[in-house]
Amino acid sequence: MEQAQESLSDVRPKRPLRAWFDVRGHNAGSWAFALNRLTGIGLAAYLIIHLVVLSTLLQGEAAWDNFITTAKTLPFLILDVILIVGLVFHGLNGVRVALVGTGVAADKQRTLFWVLMVIGVLITVFAAVMVFAAEG
Amino acid sequence: MATITSEKSSKQKTTQPDSATTVWIIQAVTGLLLILLLGLHMIAHHFIVEGGLRTYQDVLDYVSNPVILVLEILFLIVVTPHAMLGLQGIVLDLGPSKSATRTIVWVFRILTVLILGYGIWLAVALQNA
Repeated sequence: MEQAQESLSDVRPKRPLRAWFDVRGHNAGSWAFALNRLTGIGLAAYLIIHLVVLSTLLQGEAAWDNFITTAKTLPFLILDVILIVGLVFHGLNGVRVALVGTGVAADKQRTLFWVLMVIGVLITVFAAVMVFAAEG
Repeated sequence: MATITSEKSSKQKTTQPDSATTVWIIQAVTGLLLILLLGLHMIAHHFIVEGGLRTYQDVLDYVSNPVILVLEILFLIVVTPHAMLGLQGIVLDLGPSKSATRTIVWVFRILTVLILGYGIWLAVALQNA
């Protein structure tokens, strides 16, 4: 265990924050790692925003209607789609990490990544069409 | 994460799983549960309620359903630790000192309790709105 910890500190980059974003020349796994963290931060922020928005229900019908009017505007619909992209990527990449980490698909990491990403694009396109069709 | 483990006694090291492993397992389990719960959340919002939840009354009717209340609280119980442990992992990967690590872990524990507490209070309060 101690050896593993030592080797972990050996490989840990000197500037971890910069290392996330510096994916030049790295493989799909590095991109997935960086994107997983970025989407995770965004989704955690959304969790708080979602609770704040739902709190407007306690302020009565007028406050809620006011929010809904804003939520139907184009910038908000685009934000909805960005949220869906984040959710779908984070979720599907999480499935990949779980399957690889538990050894279920340790030797199929690359294939799994691309298959899940194709599924992710299809889900996102379907969801985006639904979002704009509902308000269109 | 290495810092936390190094504080454990040698006996603990042999009888308790590494904290990083525990966090990884919690993240994997809550993550998979979230896919299920989020799926149910989306189906309820966009397929069961015709046209989706829109009006004030639609939303209040939706959240006053006891099954939905239980599902939403369950969702909060799963999503909050998942989000806070994820953020904690990101911050700890920046390599803070041993004492800062302890503080960061406690800050995220407190945030988890606060968010969870507020979310559950909100879900219950909306029953009486």
